[in-house]
Amino acid sequence: MTRPTSRRDPIGAACRVAALVVLFGFLAFAAYLGFTASQVVGMDFLRGASSGAADSAGIGPALAGTLWLLLLTAVLALPIGIGTAIYLEEYAPRTRLTAVIESVAANLAGIPSVIYGIVGLALFVRALGMGPTILAGGCTLAVLALPVVIVTSRTAIRRVPAGLRLAAYGLGATRWQVVRNQILPVAGPGILAGCCAAFTRTAGAAAPLLVLGTATFMSFAPQTPAHPLTSLPTQIFSWATRSHEGFTALAAGAAIVLLLLLLVMNLVSAFVVRRLGGASP
Amino acid sequence: MMPQGVAGAGTASRAAGERLVAHVLLACTVIAVVTLAAVLAVLVREAGLFLADVSPWRFLTEITWAPAAEEARFGVLPLVVGTVQIAVGAAVFALPVGVMTAVYLHQYASRRATRLLSGVTALMSSVPTVVYGLFALHFVTPVLQVLWPGVEAFNALSACMVVGLMILPTVTVLSREALDSVPAPLLNAGLALGAPKGRVVARILLPAASGGILAAVLIAMARAVGETMIVTLAAGNESRLTWSPFEGLQTLTAFLTQLGTGDAATGTREFQAFFAVGAVLFVGTYGIHMAGRMLVSRSVGRRGQ
Repeated sequence: MTRPTSRRDPIGAACRVAALVVLFGFLAFAAYLGFTASQVVGMDFLRGASSGAADSAGIGPALAGTLWLLLLTAVLALPIGIGTAIYLEEYAPRTRLTAVIESVAANLAGIPSVIYGIVGLALFVRALGMGPTILAGGCTLAVLALPVVIVTSRTAIRRVPAGLRLAAYGLGATRWQVVRNQILPVAGPGILAGCCAAFTRTAGAAAPLLVLGTATFMSFAPQTPAHPLTSLPTQIFSWATRSHEGFTALAAGAAIVLLLLLLVMNLVSAFVVRRLGGASP
Repeated sequence: MMPQGVAGAGTASRAAGERLVAHVLLACTVIAVVTLAAVLAVLVREAGLFLADVSPWRFLTEITWAPAAEEARFGVLPLVVGTVQIAVGAAVFALPVGVMTAVYLHQYASRRATRLLSGVTALMSSVPTVVYGLFALHFVTPVLQVLWPGVEAFNALSACMVVGLMILPTVTVLSREALDSVPAPLLNAGLALGAPKGRVVARILLPAASGGILAAVLIAMARAVGETMIVTLAAGNESRLTWSPFEGLQTLTAFLTQLGTGDAATGTREFQAFFAVGAVLFVGTYGIHMAGRMLVSRSVGRRGQ
């Protein structure tokens, strides 16, 4: 239905302008970032350590720190989150308690990430004595990701048609057989997409890590989780607060690397989801 | 997919395996529940200790926030007002643009324009907020300073505009879902009666979707209230009550980031103040979110009937 809209449709015209404003806002943002970052392109920038001098600084340690944090978040939050979702959906009786857990998890998924930062500082850095390390950062980000993983996994599991479940039980399958052979193959792509959303949130999170206390001058890449906390988002923040233009360019460069990292994660996840989606019944 | 246990495994070992899996899954649930409960417990405990020391009345009514000063003052009002200013300011930018873009996508856009805009909003929603903060501080603020020489290096206007940019995808995507849930016959009836398209949009489409759009706005506002990095970078971190958009201010979230740079020792009143502020922020975003989710489920429920 592509009727030419009449000139006397002010609402249509306003809507077109609004769409152009969105495009313009995005283009201004992308152009600024690309232009500013173009001053620091090079392998030295990717490998180099952060430094007090703008022209010799790089993102090596920060990038390694972010990869460590992602690994820790995955190891800690994914099994527990998905396990919880399976238990609540397929094993636990529907009681008021499970309803409360569901509602609390759904709402915790929406509270500001900086709150997880202050709790992580009190809990992991101070009470458990981890100090401001990558381990404490990973634990904090895992707690941040946990509600999102639980909620999205539950939603994906709930979307599996009841008929599949009932048919399998009818044939005498046990609970775990139903979960392994019927539920997970169908719900897998949805769970994966949800986990990817949780990862995008945690990989870009600067606020909670900032609260834990991050090292912004790091001369070598972290080798173990006991290393002082460093990450791309907090490095971007630290460079952004400096007024020297060289540091602004560094921050923009680090931002582009972070965006590319997120893009690759999302593309890989979309590819795997499509493959799994094609293979499942 | 070979069924387990068919190829000779005994029923007993299969039952043991079943029990083991059930126990492992139960353990996961217990760990998750204990962790989430611990988050709430830490927040409630520290905030409670603070309010036992500083009366809730003083906390909520005094108008000076200076927790680290020699003569510490704990009036949370400037932080709450700063947060509301940023959230409302961001909504002023994002609400009209976002809703009208949703109407454009729903009613006017060609397939190519739809694909382009959907891609752009998806990209925008995955940008970490610290990157938007960089953009606000080093691009938007200098531009504003050229336009109005009175704009300070840290100002609320720049933060509002970029927080608005950040919540635009949320407003657009959720509003579009609300528009999509309006039954097509309703719109076609209007068009068949000879109403021009703009009139159908204004008199039928938008009123019918208003509940969903309100929910979209609430959810976007909750994100703006919780936004930390953009306001810390663009609006600065100095607590003051001001109505000038050209001056800096401090929000609840921006204050919380100072816990990392300060040296507040565990157990001190200054340390507990962070958790009291965190609790205020928690209650605020939780409340807005609950209201938004209730509106969404109500409009979804109506659609299902």
